[in-house]
Amino acid sequence: MRAENPRPSGSLAQLLRQQDFVGGLMGIGLAAFAFWQSADLPMGTLGGIGAGMLPKSLAVTLGLLSAALVLDALLAGGPTIDRWPIRGPLFVLGAVVAFGLTVRPLGLVVAGPLAILIGSLASSEVRWKETIVVGAVVTAACVGLFKFALGLPIPLAPWLIGY
Amino acid sequence: MPDLIGNLGLGFATALTPMNLALCFLGCLVGTLIGVLPGVGPIATIAMLLPLTFKVEPTGALIMLAGIYYGAQYGGSTTAILINVPGEATAVVTCLDGHAMARKGQAGIALGIAALGSFFAGTVATLVIAAIGAPLTRLALLFGPAEYFGLMVLGLGLAIVLARGSVLKAIIMVLSGLLLSTVGTDLETGQERLTLGIADLSDGIDFAVLAMGVFGIAEILRNLENPEARAVVRGAIGRLLPSAADLRKAFGPIVRATGLGSVLGILPGNGAVLAPFASYTLEKKLARDPSRFGKGAIEGVAGPEAANNAGAQTAFIPLLTLGIPPNAVMALMVGAMTIHGVIPGPQVMTKSPTLFWGMVASMWIGNLMLLVINLPLIGLWVRLLKVPYRLMFTIILLFCCIGIYSINNNPWDVYFTAFFGLAGYLLIKFGLEPAPMLLGFVLGRLMEEKLRQALALSEGSFMTFVQRPVSAALLMIAAAIIVIAVLPAVRRGREEAFRE
Repeated sequence: MRAENPRPSGSLAQLLRQQDFVGGLMGIGLAAFAFWQSADLPMGTLGGIGAGMLPKSLAVTLGLLSAALVLDALLAGGPTIDRWPIRGPLFVLGAVVAFGLTVRPLGLVVAGPLAILIGSLASSEVRWKETIVVGAVVTAACVGLFKFALGLPIPLAPWLIGY
Repeated sequence: MPDLIGNLGLGFATALTPMNLALCFLGCLVGTLIGVLPGVGPIATIAMLLPLTFKVEPTGALIMLAGIYYGAQYGGSTTAILINVPGEATAVVTCLDGHAMARKGQAGIALGIAALGSFFAGTVATLVIAAIGAPLTRLALLFGPAEYFGLMVLGLGLAIVLARGSVLKAIIMVLSGLLLSTVGTDLETGQERLTLGIADLSDGIDFAVLAMGVFGIAEILRNLENPEARAVVRGAIGRLLPSAADLRKAFGPIVRATGLGSVLGILPGNGAVLAPFASYTLEKKLARDPSRFGKGAIEGVAGPEAANNAGAQTAFIPLLTLGIPPNAVMALMVGAMTIHGVIPGPQVMTKSPTLFWGMVASMWIGNLMLLVINLPLIGLWVRLLKVPYRLMFTIILLFCCIGIYSINNNPWDVYFTAFFGLAGYLLIKFGLEPAPMLLGFVLGRLMEEKLRQALALSEGSFMTFVQRPVSAALLMIAAAIIVIAVLPAVRRGREEAFRE
């Protein structure tokens, strides 16, 4: 694997495209964050382990090993990330969050089509008419299935019919 | 032996009530329906369909859930064969020869042999569970905290060795998972840990939320990036039933794979994931003409599919006998059991024998049902797969949202799913495999509990893990497999094995 990949020439832009370099940095970040957040928790003793013992020791180990991964990437190079598309993640995650925001106050009849509309933007082949029809049909099917057939307590349209 | 028959009799009496049969059928059907969607593997399917089982009584709920699981497995194989999109790591192998067969116009035979092989494997695996379930449970009762801890360390060790990519990265993922599992209220001291002051995190991160983000949402993002990889088989499906010659060719691989899968599935640490790969490699080595593999060899579909199903089923053994979930699917089962007030572990078999044996028997019935419902319904799945992905993924997305919201009726779960979806996408980008992280997360809380108990008993001395022979042996095996995996010679072999 390694042999196919060019050695890093050291420029920051190139480093940031290296999987292991960025991945290791993420690990260090997670470890540092966890250590900072658990700083106030008591360690306890080995015979009576406190709440902070595990988070802290895990964070330290994770940080050290992630640093090793970064170091390995610096010295040996490794596979690179070719592209960072924004469109997909933005609209897919946006659709999920929009669903979460609207499902309680506005109900499934709004949250469903909304999630499908926003989500459809994630693909470069959007077709509006098609999307609207799918949004309506699938939401109707979900209402029938989840609300009426299975009786899940998901709100339908509280602003219109009260539940 | 009379025990075995009596127990299975009890099981079948439970599973064959009209209600439970209907639940098993329904589970298999919707499991296949969702599992067939491209990029939706068993983990995402179960996380999505968990709320369906909430209103059913515990035995029925678990039977239905098991049905969903097998349905999702089989649906995944269908997608792998027909459009070359593996829903999960284990279906990757099926893609190779299954899709090649489909392109040759033998999609029907590939699907048929997958179903038959899975059924055979499922039958054997059910017997394995019934036979060694009881003795293992007795063994489990002898386990103290130190032994449990050792066993879970071994599970994590196996997960590290079985992950693709470097051992270092896999260890990093396990540690991340363990760290995530500490989020929430500390069970012993009641202190909040790493909750960032968010009240909805005080119970910890919901496993279904994490799994749905990392496997459901992130998989959508991955598939959106590679639109060219999807190619629905346009040609005819052809006949479904394999010919006598096909069966003769496939029989040996199915039997060998069933053995392999059954053994690997029992291992803690998701040994089942290795089963299809192992079977494929084995059959390729044994074949008179290995060059046929990858070009539509029926052995290359029959073996891995049987291995996959056997492993998927014997993976229930560590869960039902020891209470240790060996993989993400079993962890979701723990979640479902806990919701119904059943704590998985050795006591399940003695305290609720109808539940235990009913579930075991329903595994076999579920496998039979899959054979019966899927072969005639394949035309339907094919039509479903012809829906373009630009429409399909929005529907999958909505199902994910509804499923996750319905687990706790909490919008925060939906936000966290989006967050873990992003995290899972980054992991894909960074070439970090999520499976070891999931297992670390799954075992984290139990491991901490057992570690604390063991150290409290030994008054803080780590020697207890070494002095007790069973825990010492388990820890030594765990250390040994990791050391072996990083040895240069083995590392090369491992890379080759994963490249297949």
